[in-house]
Amino acid sequence: MSATSRIVFGRNPRRTAVRILVLAASSAFLFGWALTPIRTEGVSMLPTYTSGALKFVNRIAYMSGDPQRGDVVAIRLAGPHVLYVKRVVGLPGEHVRIVGGQVQIDGSPLLEPYVRHRRAWDVDEVTLGPAEYFVVGDNRGMSAGDHVFGRVDRARIIGRVVF
Amino acid sequence: MSHCRRLPPALLGLAIVAAAAWWWWPGESAHVRRQLNALVREVNTITIDGAGQAARSARLGRFFTEDVEMNLGPGSAPIHGLETLLGMAERLQPRTAAFTLRFDDVIVRIAPDGIRAGVNLTAVMTRRGLSYDDRSFDAMEFSLDLMKTEEEWRIARVTAVETIR
Repeated sequence: MSATSRIVFGRNPRRTAVRILVLAASSAFLFGWALTPIRTEGVSMLPTYTSGALKFVNRIAYMSGDPQRGDVVAIRLAGPHVLYVKRVVGLPGEHVRIVGGQVQIDGSPLLEPYVRHRRAWDVDEVTLGPAEYFVVGDNRGMSAGDHVFGRVDRARIIGRVVF
Repeated sequence: MSHCRRLPPALLGLAIVAAAAWWWWPGESAHVRRQLNALVREVNTITIDGAGQAARSARLGRFFTEDVEMNLGPGSAPIHGLETLLGMAERLQPRTAAFTLRFDDVIVRIAPDGIRAGVNLTAVMTRRGLSYDDRSFDAMEFSLDLMKTEEEWRIARVTAVETIR
């Protein structure tokens, strides 16, 4: 074997080929499915996420469990390439309302340390169904009319945003 | 030459013929997608002069049926009929010139009769700004019903899907 071949393929080209295939397959699974990279757009999750930030969606986070309050989740629209990124504040069966910008769960105010500014949003009480979550962005300083928030079906939540 | 040596070139030739056949005779799903792509290109065409705007509105008409119905979600009045739609499109052109439309995750279902189709897609609207940070971005899921008339797929109904409600 020539010196060039040894540098490129190693001493055992078959083992090198197997290693390359294993690396390619695991990368494809990891970044193509389990840990999907996303780039955030928009201001609804400020200050937690800025527009243009690179994040990852852990798509196996909810394979054996359900979203928890405080989780930042990725929500599917027609498919997996454009997602909403919102924070879960209400869990199935709970009564959620917003009074003067303060989220209330079953009548009790929710502590939200991730919210920096609040406008006086007022949202009538909603009762979440058995497979519904209440999601909202962290940027409560923007007008409620410009912010997409509310009830989402569990089936639409495809993973938890990490990093 | 043995049969084993003939096999790979034969398989490659078969693959090329299959790819060419798929490209040359696309199924109805591909026709629907091409029509939607053409609609996006037309919407994103910037026209400044008045005559051009009127012509563009007329071109938009070939993508919809005469009795098209559009329900764009809460806060938007329903639109009934092609004439109403084109009138609104012509009036909104100066404002929409700053926006770029894109369709993502287009899912096409052709009905067994071959003349009706259902589409779900995500429409992404980006407002152009002077810089990257100045852009604004909105995305919404829509459900479309299409009819095949005169060998062209036309949109008969557009309904906004409330992903978060």
